[in-house]
Amino acid sequence: MIAYLIRHYIFTLIVLKNAQKQKTTALLENSQYQPTVSILIPARNEERVIGRLLQRMTELTYPKEKLQIIVIDDASTDETREIAEQYSKTHSCIEIIHRSEKEGGHGKASALNAGSKHANSEIIFCFDADYHPQGDILEKLTEVFANPKVGVVQGRITVLNEPQNIVTRLVALERIGGYRIDQQAREDLGLIPQFGGTVGGIRRSLLERLGGWDESILAEDTELTFRVYLAGFRVGYIYDAECYEEAVESWRAYWKQRYRWAKGHMQCAFKHSLRVLKSKNLRLREKIDGLLLLNVYFMPVLVLCSWIIGIPLFFLKSSQLLSILWASIPISLYSFVGNFAPFFEVGIGAYLDGRNRAQWLIPLLIFTFLYNILICTKALADLTISKILRRNTNHWTKTVHSGNGNSYIIN
Amino acid sequence: MIPNQTPTTFIMLTIGALTFIFIMFLPALLELKKPKDAGPRLIMKDVPIMRSKMREAILITNMEEEQKSDQTLIRKIADVIAVLPNLEV
Repeated sequence: MIAYLIRHYIFTLIVLKNAQKQKTTALLENSQYQPTVSILIPARNEERVIGRLLQRMTELTYPKEKLQIIVIDDASTDETREIAEQYSKTHSCIEIIHRSEKEGGHGKASALNAGSKHANSEIIFCFDADYHPQGDILEKLTEVFANPKVGVVQGRITVLNEPQNIVTRLVALERIGGYRIDQQAREDLGLIPQFGGTVGGIRRSLLERLGGWDESILAEDTELTFRVYLAGFRVGYIYDAECYEEAVESWRAYWKQRYRWAKGHMQCAFKHSLRVLKSKNLRLREKIDGLLLLNVYFMPVLVLCSWIIGIPLFFLKSSQLLSILWASIPISLYSFVGNFAPFFEVGIGAYLDGRNRAQWLIPLLIFTFLYNILICTKALADLTISKILRRNTNHWTKTVHSGNGNSYIIN
Repeated sequence: MIPNQTPTTFIMLTIGALTFIFIMFLPALLELKKPKDAGPRLIMKDVPIMRSKMREAILITNMEEEQKSDQTLIRKIADVIAVLPNLEV
């Protein structure tokens, strides 16, 4: 827990220190490297948002002759297919793949694998159906592929429907912490920036070599990140290549999404922790960061354990030996500041984004942290039970997008 | 842990803790009640995004425009009906 705390402070201070330098670097780098690009858009019942994204795709400034957009209609039962077909008729670069009821509905990784078979470009990008990217985002993201060591690129995600309610506002703060600080610090320190499975791309040759996305893991993006690093490539993070997303709007939807992330991350930890330790392609600092990243969702469970042990001991007036364990209380409380980096990290991220008023909401992140304790504990319990019983309980719970983000875009 | 524990100490500690919690959450409550943050962050030059400060004003403008267009439509329908022959016997 202390390791996470130290990590978050180091990350935050590094980004704060480099804040001015980043702007200069971004302006100086102006290469003209423009490979062919395929964009995969997995869509299952996304009628409320798919039109917005496809319209935006037609407005991208990237040369159209180098662009292939593939919509993967993952057995949708709503109007997703019809909307996509309308765009496909009027724009030759948009293609649609229809998946039957039997083929579809098995999760994002499965849909992406189906789509990647049709991709014929050098770089494969992924965008979720509820996203709304900058017009020149592909130019910014593809630049880093001029470096042959870069296998994957990741852009920044910003919440579009932030003012909607308290949940979206807190998710926006979490995103600021994650993308303005965490990812940026990893990039600056040469650690392991994470591929988020969307607003990012991978070399097609590398994806084929790795055998595509792993459909047995719920966090297919994190899993791919580690296979990329273990194969000797790295992930580049471009903080000014930004894209809007529609954040979850209710606590129930938040639970479902984070539960999937937590369980998927834990699956990755079981799969890759030892490989990361043994890898000859990773430097020591990458190994340390990789292990911290893989195991981050176990931390809330550890905090819960330390409370369960610590609080009764505090009240029991126990012996001298047991009193040593009282230390677990301040440690666990102290770890609040480090785990999930909600306070210092988010505060600095909001400051760097010029969002001083948003900082006022930071204390409320304590509730998302408490909520995450429950989510991660449930995820670990379910994973343990499924391991013992040897049952596959990987049910992909899709995040429902209401399309409320549309009202924030002025046409 | 606490020397000379008395009911007064306990009450003082509870009041202190509650005050601390209240002060800690006060800015957040104020911001929630009357949002002044201009989010979401603007990331695009070519697409204007409705930010929270402007949002209400723009929504009202849109509603007024919708009402105007509704009134125009009603007026057109009324004009058409007026031209139609009287079907009442």
